[in-house]
Amino acid sequence: MARGSDGDRQYFEEIQVGDEYQSPGRTVTEADIVAFAGLSGDYNVLHTDAEFMRSSIFGERIAHGLLGLAISSGLGSRAMPRPFATMAFLGLRWRFKGPIKIGDTIKVRLRVADKRDTSKPDRGIVTIQRTVLNQRGETVQEGDTEIMVERRPARTAARAHA
Amino acid sequence: MRYFEDLEVGEQFRTPARTVTEADVLAYAAISGDHEVLDRAAGGDPDGVPAPEFLAFAVSSGLGFRVPVDQPPILAFMTFDWRAVAPVRIGDTIHCRIRIAQKRPMKDAGVLVEKREVVNQRGEVVQEAEYKLLVARRPAS
Repeated sequence: MARGSDGDRQYFEEIQVGDEYQSPGRTVTEADIVAFAGLSGDYNVLHTDAEFMRSSIFGERIAHGLLGLAISSGLGSRAMPRPFATMAFLGLRWRFKGPIKIGDTIKVRLRVADKRDTSKPDRGIVTIQRTVLNQRGETVQEGDTEIMVERRPARTAARAHA
Repeated sequence: MRYFEDLEVGEQFRTPARTVTEADVLAYAAISGDHEVLDRAAGGDPDGVPAPEFLAFAVSSGLGFRVPVDQPPILAFMTFDWRAVAPVRIGDTIHCRIRIAQKRPMKDAGVLVEKREVVNQRGEVVQEAEYKLLVARRPAS
């Protein structure tokens, strides 16, 4: 495995519905938007044409919605002292509620909303409510993420119960 | 320019394809700050190195702009509902199938519902999404 010891990560069994985390903040810069345009290939004027956007309802360029999502995903991993033993992202329902502008500082609040078993005994599915807030405390994005999380490997479980 | 009024429910597009590379994964980790994706990519999966799901999602969103048709002016991305069906691995070449599923006119703009499927080089659907986009209406002349 990539990580040194089992204790570094939270397995499915340890995660409790209602657990909450709050991330540090991160200021979204012009460089982030330019880099994300390059990575995604989304050069829509909303994100790349300062002159056009000056006369738009936003008054300036705004971050890609999916850049906010990507940054919130990174902030989410920094919100947790011990990351979840995530195997994969399964699904996402997401709402963009307001723009993220250059210079805005966003943070993410996470809450474990649901846990359920799967047909495979080595994993479970966890639903996390994510709220992305700006420096004024306004919700700019929110939604539910479904992730697949490993259960504690049998060998470790046996040791824990010895 | 094609406006909300010019788009038809049932229209389908196929985007060009793009190969997801290791450089994309590193760039995604740097921009998102999500370095767990590198740990997951280092897992030694015999089928190949999985790329972050949101990276493939971001790439597919950009591919939509490369369809050689007149693009409607998008005012905002409102919501989406997204599912990862199968992994995208480094070296996979993905394209996107887009279908206009619904149109809802509003006062000053229109809501466009698009169904999108991300497809790999073997024709397997790896991700599915429904986008709701706010699109400009034709300005009154």
